Amino acid sequence: MRTTEQLTKIFGPEAASRVSNARLLVVGAGGIGCELLKDLSMAGFQHIEAVDLDTIDLSNLNRQFLFQRRHIKRAKAEVAIQAISDFNPGMDVKARQANIKESAVFDVDWFAQFDLVLNALDNLDARRHVNTMCLAAHVPLIESGTAGYLGQVTVIVGGVTECFECHPKPVERKTYPICTIRSTPSAPIHCIVWAKNYLFAQLFGESGESEDMSSAEAEEENMEELKQLQEESKALAKLADAMGSPDFARVVFEKVFADDIARLLSMTEMWQHRQLPTPLSYDELEAEIRPDFDPKSPGTHSALSLADSFALFKYTADQLAQRLLKETSAPETRGSLVFDKDDEDALNFVAATASLRSHVFGIEQTSIFETKAMAGNIIPAIATTNAVVAGMMVTQAVMVVSEQLPKCHTAYVSYNSKRSRSVLSEPLAKPNLLCAVCRRRYLTLRVADLGRTTLGDVVDYLHMLAETENNLFLGEDISVVEGSRILYDLDFEDNMAKTLEELDLGRGKMITIAREDLNYSDDELEMLPVAATVPVVLSIAGPRAQDGEQALDIDIEGFGSIPEFAPLPPRSVDAAPGGDDAEEDHLVFVEDDVAVVVGDSDDEVEEIGHTEHVDALSDDLSKRRLSDICDANCVKRRAVETGSGSADGGSEDVC
Amino acid sequence: MSQHNRVISKEEEALYDRQIRLWGMEAQSRLRNCSILFVGVKTVTLEACKNLVLGGIGRLSIYDPQPITKLDLETQYYFNESHIGQPKDKVLAEKLAVLNPLVDISAVSSLDDIAGVDLVVSIGRQTMGEWRRKGVKSILADAFGLFGYIFVDCLDSHEYIEEGRVKDPKTGESEVVRSSKVATYKSFEESVKAKVAGGNALRLARKYSPLVFVCQALATMDERVQADSKLAVSQFIKDSLEQRELPQGFVGDELLERVQASWGTEFVPSAAVVGGTLAQEVLKIITLKDMPANNWFTYDGLVSEGIACTL
Repeated sequence: MRTTEQLTKIFGPEAASRVSNARLLVVGAGGIGCELLKDLSMAGFQHIEAVDLDTIDLSNLNRQFLFQRRHIKRAKAEVAIQAISDFNPGMDVKARQANIKESAVFDVDWFAQFDLVLNALDNLDARRHVNTMCLAAHVPLIESGTAGYLGQVTVIVGGVTECFECHPKPVERKTYPICTIRSTPSAPIHCIVWAKNYLFAQLFGESGESEDMSSAEAEEENMEELKQLQEESKALAKLADAMGSPDFARVVFEKVFADDIARLLSMTEMWQHRQLPTPLSYDELEAEIRPDFDPKSPGTHSALSLADSFALFKYTADQLAQRLLKETSAPETRGSLVFDKDDEDALNFVAATASLRSHVFGIEQTSIFETKAMAGNIIPAIATTNAVVAGMMVTQAVMVVSEQLPKCHTAYVSYNSKRSRSVLSEPLAKPNLLCAVCRRRYLTLRVADLGRTTLGDVVDYLHMLAETENNLFLGEDISVVEGSRILYDLDFEDNMAKTLEELDLGRGKMITIAREDLNYSDDELEMLPVAATVPVVLSIAGPRAQDGEQALDIDIEGFGSIPEFAPLPPRSVDAAPGGDDAEEDHLVFVEDDVAVVVGDSDDEVEEIGHTEHVDALSDDLSKRRLSDICDANCVKRRAVETGSGSADGGSEDVC
Repeated sequence: MSQHNRVISKEEEALYDRQIRLWGMEAQSRLRNCSILFVGVKTVTLEACKNLVLGGIGRLSIYDPQPITKLDLETQYYFNESHIGQPKDKVLAEKLAVLNPLVDISAVSSLDDIAGVDLVVSIGRQTMGEWRRKGVKSILADAFGLFGYIFVDCLDSHEYIEEGRVKDPKTGESEVVRSSKVATYKSFEESVKAKVAGGNALRLARKYSPLVFVCQALATMDERVQADSKLAVSQFIKDSLEQRELPQGFVGDELLERVQASWGTEFVPSAAVVGGTLAQEVLKIITLKDMPANNWFTYDGLVSEGIACTL
């Protein structure tokens, strides 16, 4: 075990002791994760658990330095934890190759065993989930993100700081109107989305309605058109049955690049102001295949010609078909594929068919290299940004575990802005008073037998609490909601007799209890304690192991952990940032969420990206620094002049 | 540039895919063909070298014949008990080689022959004059406790490409515009003697963080004082600041106390921030993309502030 003398010199013995005893959870062992685990273990943290679902890929090795070539295909969490153990033997570390969102396993009790959680994730969904779990378990969270040269770190403590969902995050993935994808594409991305989400999915994916069709129903006003599209989808899916035959590539090609195009051409109104698409001929293109074209190594950095796209399509269609057929002999039980950008055949199939489609519609073609980025939602990533972000996370971690939260802040890494600051910070913000995630009283509902306790039992128990010191101030008129379904309210009592098991309310689920009678005037609201206006969220958990004692049928725990909530602003004030407006933001936004976006709903999206926010912050900091120094010096001067230690004095500001 | 004119292979394309998507094939190619020398092994050296080796530079040379000590083991994670007494440069070179077999890494026994080296990075030891005389671009950097600094000298004329986005007001489309620029850098001697415009703290604060003057002082401190007591170091800093004729109270006592507490220690998280920033500056210098800091960068890990300025 490495000594920590220097840690003690820098932070003091109390903090050093807190560091070595703190129990940490690291979610993600990739780009930020590797750096983070190294920094944590070298900064004196001894108890670390790492969770990551992913396995190691060659493209990770330019930055995920705990991994080498011999580790490719192994689980990231395991290899990373092994590596830091090698750096620092004797630590109490654990690796889990698992999905943190599995809340039956990683439930509130599991999260509650940690003193601090650190996110090193790459997607909004998981971040939202961990944010909620940390709020429910009352554990502080250090959140992070990087994309290219940019990065960000912040600290989330329920009830004290903003949580991850206090302000709407940009839409994660842009969705395109169905007609743009299926009928009138005008940009390379439309062709790529068509190739990946429609063609590839229908032929090689799991059977069932392709994802674009369900949203189509909501959008497509023209019922005729909608029916046509649905027919086409069904017909294409049927073609998948031809997978065994040598004709497979031909029938698919002729359907999507000839027949379907011919049908589109017949809809003359569609093409009044648009360039007409050109159907392709299988036989003509077959004749044009270059003999020296090697489909196993197509050039990745230049656009594919029509002939090369065709050749690549033929090859990959057959390759993928062979692969699926190998998995089983009977067509009814054929396997299926999920698109994976690192699966060369799948990627090249999508690239080839997207390219063919661009030729049909007269759209510029993209190279396989560019297509991969768009189809695979690739974020460029380098070692340096991750190293900087992780370093900042760990300094903050020391502060959090040693109870020095006032020293914590949000920190940004920027690049090449004309400003002088490349690393800068701003104070942690207070929670949004109307946040639907953190303005909640999170408690744990412990049930001995989910197959016996009914919803009615739980409601009765909640009412019973009103008579006790743990009065939740819920009143009689409450609603019980789980996810998007209403389980109970005064008008809906059908579920009262059903058991929690019957209602699919198992361990890891959360139910929200809210007062339904809060339409009082401001005056009447003032009579209620603030807590009454804050909905309760019960995390369903198993009973606590009690020595010798029978577990209680129902128990609710955690009253002591509920933070103080500030009173709501008066009703007349417009306080909530519009969450629904997020739908209006037309933004191509890929998995990482460093940018802050404001959408001008109608036309151009004004992207106030990370850089602009940071520039504005930099300006602000310069001004703030000036006033700090000014005030400090002024105070000093006055103190010297008046000969006293106090800051008052009538002298004018000299500066 | 050094003689190895290596072309990016298919394997490298796959390995460096995520970074090529950020800075392009040409930049990667320049990296592939460069030679960097690091003088002095501290935690920040490990950090910066790790990043550069991962990034795929052509050649890395390391010079530090000092033996590895027990204290080094606290933060220099590539070293363990079995390495105590062995030369730092040799052991580090061996460990870094595992990160990327495509990079040529070795310990060098003297600083006399630096033929083919494109950039020298000195860590914690001041050899800057030497490099400028030999016409080689150089960086001086250090990370101690919660702090760190980077000083860049790209000589009299450093040509680079700046990329910016320009929005066409008519079509609303934005386009990447590349312009060729030239920057001039001061020598270290010039920089430490530079007269700072007088006046009050307010005006000075618009241009400089107080920390840069403290770091400048530390950077000029010779080895004798460095090895002396913390009190001696503090006194040295105070004397240097006085010579600079800075306004009263510009460099606060609180900052000086914190620097004193950090001096002589290492803290991996802060070394990682400084090392990451340092590696990024090296990348800018080698790839000729974007202007490298001209010429000081300082970092205060307590408040997460990394500020560049010209002195």
